[in-house]
Amino acid sequence: MQTSELLNNYHVDSHTWDEMYLNESVREQYRGVVEFMQRLSIEELNKKEELAKGLFMSQGVTFTVYSSGEGIEKIFPFDIIPRIITATEWKFIEEGIKQRLKALNLFLKDVYNEQFIIQDGIVPAEMIYSCPHYLREMYRFPVPYDIYVHIAGIDLIRNYDGSFYILEDNLRTPSGVSYMLENREITKRLFPDLLPKNNVRAVTEYPNILHRNLVSLSPRRISKPTIVVLSPGIYNSAYFEHTTLARLMGVELVEGRDLVVDNHKVYMKTTAGLHQVDVIYRRVDDEFLDPLMFNGSSMLGVSGIMNAYRKGNVAIVNAIGNGVADDKAIYTYVPQMIRYYLNEEPILKNVPTFQLGHDEQREEVFANMHKMVIKKTNESGGYGMLMGHVASEREMELYKEQILINPRQFIAQPIISLSSSPCYMNGKLVPRRVDLRPYALCGPEGIEIVPGGLTRVALKEGSLVVNSSQGGGSKDTWVLAI
Amino acid sequence: MLSRVADSLYWMSRYLERTDGILRMLKMNYASSQDDLGEFSWKPVLQIFTYMNEGEANAIAFQSRAVLQYMVTERENPNSVFNIVTHARENARSIQDHITKEMWQCLNDYYHAVRNEHLLIRLEREDPISVLDVLIKHGLLYYGTTDITMARGESYVFLTMGKFLERALQSADILDVKFSDVNFDFSKTDTTYWKYLLLSISGYELYLKTYRSGFEPRKVVEQIVLNDNFPRSVKYSINRLHGYFERIRNQGNTKANEKMQFMIGRLRSHINYSTVEMIEEEGLHLYLLRVKKELRDIANALNQYYFAYS
Amino acid sequence: MPKFKIHHVTRYNYETPVRDSANQILLFPIQDDFQQVLKQDLHITGEPMVDIYKDFYGNEVGSFMNAEPHLELVIDSKLEVITRGNHEPADDQPAEIQWAELHKIRSQFPYIDFLKQEQFSSLGEVTRIIGEMDLRSLTPYQTGKKLNDYIFTHFQYIKGITSVETTLEEVWNLKAGVCQDFAHLLLVMLRKIEIPARYVSGYVCPNKSGMRGEGATHAWVEAYIPFYGWLGFDPTNNCNVNGMHVRLAVGRSFSNCSPVKGTYKGTSSHTLEVGVSVSYEDGRTSEEPSAVLAAQPKNANGEQENSYRRYMEMIQQQQ
Repeated sequence: MQTSELLNNYHVDSHTWDEMYLNESVREQYRGVVEFMQRLSIEELNKKEELAKGLFMSQGVTFTVYSSGEGIEKIFPFDIIPRIITATEWKFIEEGIKQRLKALNLFLKDVYNEQFIIQDGIVPAEMIYSCPHYLREMYRFPVPYDIYVHIAGIDLIRNYDGSFYILEDNLRTPSGVSYMLENREITKRLFPDLLPKNNVRAVTEYPNILHRNLVSLSPRRISKPTIVVLSPGIYNSAYFEHTTLARLMGVELVEGRDLVVDNHKVYMKTTAGLHQVDVIYRRVDDEFLDPLMFNGSSMLGVSGIMNAYRKGNVAIVNAIGNGVADDKAIYTYVPQMIRYYLNEEPILKNVPTFQLGHDEQREEVFANMHKMVIKKTNESGGYGMLMGHVASEREMELYKEQILINPRQFIAQPIISLSSSPCYMNGKLVPRRVDLRPYALCGPEGIEIVPGGLTRVALKEGSLVVNSSQGGGSKDTWVLAI
Repeated sequence: MLSRVADSLYWMSRYLERTDGILRMLKMNYASSQDDLGEFSWKPVLQIFTYMNEGEANAIAFQSRAVLQYMVTERENPNSVFNIVTHARENARSIQDHITKEMWQCLNDYYHAVRNEHLLIRLEREDPISVLDVLIKHGLLYYGTTDITMARGESYVFLTMGKFLERALQSADILDVKFSDVNFDFSKTDTTYWKYLLLSISGYELYLKTYRSGFEPRKVVEQIVLNDNFPRSVKYSINRLHGYFERIRNQGNTKANEKMQFMIGRLRSHINYSTVEMIEEEGLHLYLLRVKKELRDIANALNQYYFAYS
Repeated sequence: MPKFKIHHVTRYNYETPVRDSANQILLFPIQDDFQQVLKQDLHITGEPMVDIYKDFYGNEVGSFMNAEPHLELVIDSKLEVITRGNHEPADDQPAEIQWAELHKIRSQFPYIDFLKQEQFSSLGEVTRIIGEMDLRSLTPYQTGKKLNDYIFTHFQYIKGITSVETTLEEVWNLKAGVCQDFAHLLLVMLRKIEIPARYVSGYVCPNKSGMRGEGATHAWVEAYIPFYGWLGFDPTNNCNVNGMHVRLAVGRSFSNCSPVKGTYKGTSSHTLEVGVSVSYEDGRTSEEPSAVLAAQPKNANGEQENSYRRYMEMIQQQQ
């Protein structure tokens, strides 16, 4: 009886891969959760949802939205049903991301040094030099261990046949990992004992691995190097994440105004005077990091920090200038990079991408705009996007005009349907579209990916946009051990 | 510890201490207003705790509910409980990794409580004391949580210094304004007046136990300025301030430490070697002015030597 | 091979102490076949450690800091430098072959960066003017000379009329400016017709020839001439660069070449004075820097910059 009530509204779109359902029956990996939920009454389930909201609120797991001069705290909507990934699926994802990151890191080293990939005609010079994130300041810059990307968030989606595609590489300051950690803590409260029973792998190691990697980057060989997390401050929407990470690693959370560079070394200002800093995990964007070198009006950065970095007196994580590798136009070349640098076939597929700076490709896109999603190469968070299947003729025309002003700044991709996953809404399970962002950590010892990630979900029925700024929510992500 | 963090801890603590003082004072003054046969004036309260000028204060001095609304929920009043709790929480937010998660949750709950839209309606229509009690309890929860969960390190020192500095200033202020209301006349023996003064800073019961001779202004001064056992006395607060400062004295920053030690030590000696007679001789107002000035100098020195990060 | 002794002084004064200052200098002349530094003596207030590295454009960049409160920053550079003029381009290849060569290299490093056009509203008008000149019938070298002359003829040289913050659009409409503005305009025109062009910052040493730009740092342009190389055009003086200019740095625009820039923290406003003097082999010396130290135009938003906790840019303008 309960079964039908919980599941009778679950109608899977026939052209969509569903994470839970296969041919009208629940996939094995979801059975434990579905059975658990079926034993509960709707009241109990609603109570759980309330509990989750309450926990997020009182723990301050919020982001701030500013309107009419007053900050309003909102919680990132959380859906109580976990997204489940099987051990086989995970193994595939893990290998694919490791391979991709290896290539992207080599690419960064190459474009900022010898530029073999340009000389060999794999990536055109215009592509690199026209990218606003290709920072000439990083040319021939000695980066410790040649690691540019220490922390990456790689966005994956699943097409109708269940195959995984890379949607986007986030190699600058990927956010959301605190939600991976917090969502798991909430699940422990919501579904007691369910995690061990289902052989779900833990995600708690993330801060430890990150901390270990940061320590290993310290230029001073001392037993207790000073590591800091550099945040833009409490008004940043990801501030909660910055504090969470600092707390979990047991390191200082600093703002630009806490730091000063003297004699090419970075110090923090303490009640007992200046204290040298060895490693900075910065969550401040490149252009705001050093007012002396980049944006002179930045109040978030530290003047002279690039000079300290260049001298090797401080390590900065992620490296500066990574934006050239996660640019949406450069994205097209990643499969070629994998072949070029690693001599391997890409494990994870790219979504076919049209360069609008390319005349023929642009014509083709303009002719089929209603089947396309068009994005700005240097924007993220779902901003500046056009979803062709829902856009009006007028919107499309206006967008075309915008594109023609600077076509290099746009790419187009066929609309990929995104897999659906069950969400608990008003006493029932309903399918909603999801993506997946696992977090990879690269240290001198290699690449590690914590088994889990952030599953973002488009809470509006039929929507394909999962970004939190566009009405998206998140789910706990389970990776099964067996 | 980061200078900015010390600064935020100190101010978070000062703001919460101030909130507690304001709420208790509002509660007792409201109760007092119910006993008053004539019209009860809130003017001294408005003078101590707001930036209102005389005219503005006069305008609402006799309207209890309006004063409560202004002091508790008014967004335009920089010293309203609403704004002070918001400031305290903003400070806490930027130093979440230096206070315990439990403290942060307390402050967060407090913050959501003062933002609750029903608060204003309840203050207008219901028994204000129950409303104020709810808020006071939030503060108490914070004090208790801090006491039980916070490590006794440098963070705790700055937190506590903020608390006692604010408290000493407040007690001195309250005494000053209340006595200026009666022109520093030590012969005024209106029992109710002194009773509510003591009640508003939670010193009534102690007074009854200590001084069995009834209400006498000199004794009131003695309790609020010089009583060793009264946790809101100026003396108690300054001795505490001194004690906590001693704990950080031996870490680096020598020049700053010497200067601070001198300032706090001088003020402490001055209070410890005062008697009510000496205060009366000097004049209560002048005495309090000097104490307040020295407390502010200490606050400025903290700012200059320990918190100067930008 | 003329030899010059150059004395370049930059002085910042602050009303009240400032601290946390970080600075970057491009005061080290380029060393190549046409320029050789015999001696350089650099003194900075407080004698901080100056770290030097080569940037993307090959310039030597120095950086130094001062975290302590201070009221003054003086950067004093004394140079002895020999320059050698280059022969004029032979310019003996047919124009179309030369233009084809430029077209071929347009997306190659390093030329690609020196063709990137800065957008501004009147760019369309610039394009029209260039179109009317029928430059494609000329060789790139002749084009360079013609555009150099165009800027010199159509723009007035007026000191103090612009600051480092004046935009291209404003300069274009003012029809006046200083060497920095002249150089930027020539860059726009050369790039528009696909000649790679770079900004050059340095000193001009005209001795008695009466050229503009003495007493301060100077700026001009280098254009890439096919089958020849980079050739300097000085639109402020309407001449080719030939042994009387000393190059400090090259870049896409002024922002890559600013001789001195820095930030500090404090509530104070600052004054900036710059002076350059040159001594020649014939014994003539232009006025000592102390005599020519000139206050630099304030940035437009100078007032707003004084607010507390605000970083401030201190950039000197090139004349």
